[in-house]
Amino acid sequence: MPAEAWAVPITVGERTNPSDRVARGSGTQDPISRGHMAGQANRIDDTTLIRQAQQGNRAAFEELVRHYDQAVLRLALHLTGSEADAQDIFQDAFLKAYKNVVNFRFECSFYTWIYRIVTNLCLDHLRKRQVRKEDAAVSTDSEGEEYSLLDRVPDGRAAANPERDFMARELGKRINHALDRLTPRERMVFELKHYHGLKLRTVGEILNTTEETAKNTLFRATQKLRGSLSDMR
Amino acid sequence: MKCEWVKDNIVLYVYNELADDARYELEQHLGRCPECATELKATRRFHATLSVTPVDEPTPNLLTASRMRLQEALETTSQGGLWNRLAFDPGAWLRQVRFSPALAAAIFIVGFGGGIGATYKVISKPVTPILGSETTVVPPVGEANITGISSITQEPGSNEVTIKYNTVSTQEQKGSLSDQRIQQLLLFAARNNYNSGVRMDSVDLLTQKPDDTRVREALMYALHYDNNPGVRLKAIEGLGSFVKDDMRVRDAVLGALVSDTNPGVRTQALHLLEPVKADSSVRAVLQRLAENDQNQYIRSQARTVMAQLPEID
Repeated sequence: MPAEAWAVPITVGERTNPSDRVARGSGTQDPISRGHMAGQANRIDDTTLIRQAQQGNRAAFEELVRHYDQAVLRLALHLTGSEADAQDIFQDAFLKAYKNVVNFRFECSFYTWIYRIVTNLCLDHLRKRQVRKEDAAVSTDSEGEEYSLLDRVPDGRAAANPERDFMARELGKRINHALDRLTPRERMVFELKHYHGLKLRTVGEILNTTEETAKNTLFRATQKLRGSLSDMR
Repeated sequence: MKCEWVKDNIVLYVYNELADDARYELEQHLGRCPECATELKATRRFHATLSVTPVDEPTPNLLTASRMRLQEALETTSQGGLWNRLAFDPGAWLRQVRFSPALAAAIFIVGFGGGIGATYKVISKPVTPILGSETTVVPPVGEANITGISSITQEPGSNEVTIKYNTVSTQEQKGSLSDQRIQQLLLFAARNNYNSGVRMDSVDLLTQKPDDTRVREALMYALHYDNNPGVRLKAIEGLGSFVKDDMRVRDAVLGALVSDTNPGVRTQALHLLEPVKADSSVRAVLQRLAENDQNQYIRSQARTVMAQLPEID
């Protein structure tokens, strides 16, 4: 395990609490405030569960995991493009959270903290993929052209219109290639902003950087993507 | 406001990340600068293009499998604290020094010695009560000597149980359900026995004591791993009353609903999950089953349960 993945910063980020999430969710939604995370008002407050988990209550930790696991899996799955890798990141992230929850000091929200662990693991994964050129989701066909394995997974939803389905796949393939050309950090900022709808302030907190840096990184990522996909505009 | 500034910030405008005053000024500028208005259109079009590949939700199967794998790992993981970080970690030290051959030899010697010690302990020391605490200390059954359980019978109208088990030769143990030796043998039989009839009898008797955590774990183990559908069915029936309160039981039943090969076990799982159908993971699994499960009955039952659910926001 690379050292960075274990470096779980706890004291960084401004003081927030779970109720802040709802307020910040207006406009662009945080993933926590939609879908699985919606309608959590009747659930036991995270703070109580965290305190119980810190006292060694595993059931409380498992309940806490339930509040975030779907969003975590969605992020890992989209970033890695592989169910097996996503499962590994999911497993490592929550085990690390379990081992370190005693050190959580409520100086940032729990979801910022858990996202920080997950994004560190995902960044490690992306870096390894770049260095080794062992992209599990990309293979080379008989003519030497790269294709994404994900593109070959049959999609039952769009069977009604095969032509449109084909076009969407081609487009998806192009976009995936363009995303792979970003640096891991650019990819992460773009992922969290564009696909997961987090506010840049939150992205900055998660990645241990400022909102301004996150803005610059997003700008750079967008410019690169526009360059890579310029013939599609 | 210069066009250059607008071009630098138009992405933030599209992502709704500009402060109110900057946003207002940018909109004013767009109203009078056709070039920047064209740039905005291009940016919006690009934004829409990138959104043709939405982020799919993980499938219920993947989510359930990930949760179960995590739970299994949590059972063997301890929380770290200040002490753990400060404490001397010989494993890490040895990894650094790369003492692989010496470490292998040391592990072998310690393991061999430990194995002898553990066997001696099982044979010689009395065990503590397993279920409940109403019994006093009695001589234990030497579990290491048990080679199998050959039969289990319960006296009609009482909680007296007779268990025949094999060591070197077949032995017999008689006692009430609260007898620790009987409980030990039942737990052993539920997990280890080669005879599925005996496993079924032991699981059946254990369901009378599901409040005990070890029994519940034995039942979950049987539900997950036993290759006999009858045993799995008995186990799931015993777990029924805990689906609501025990998250691990709920996940085990959910796992059976998704992946058990026997339709009877799956049907029972579906019925047991009805009271917790509003749980997000249960709801997700039900939706998946209602759409494309191969078993027509499960599909229609899942639809029926889904139809009773209130809409969520």
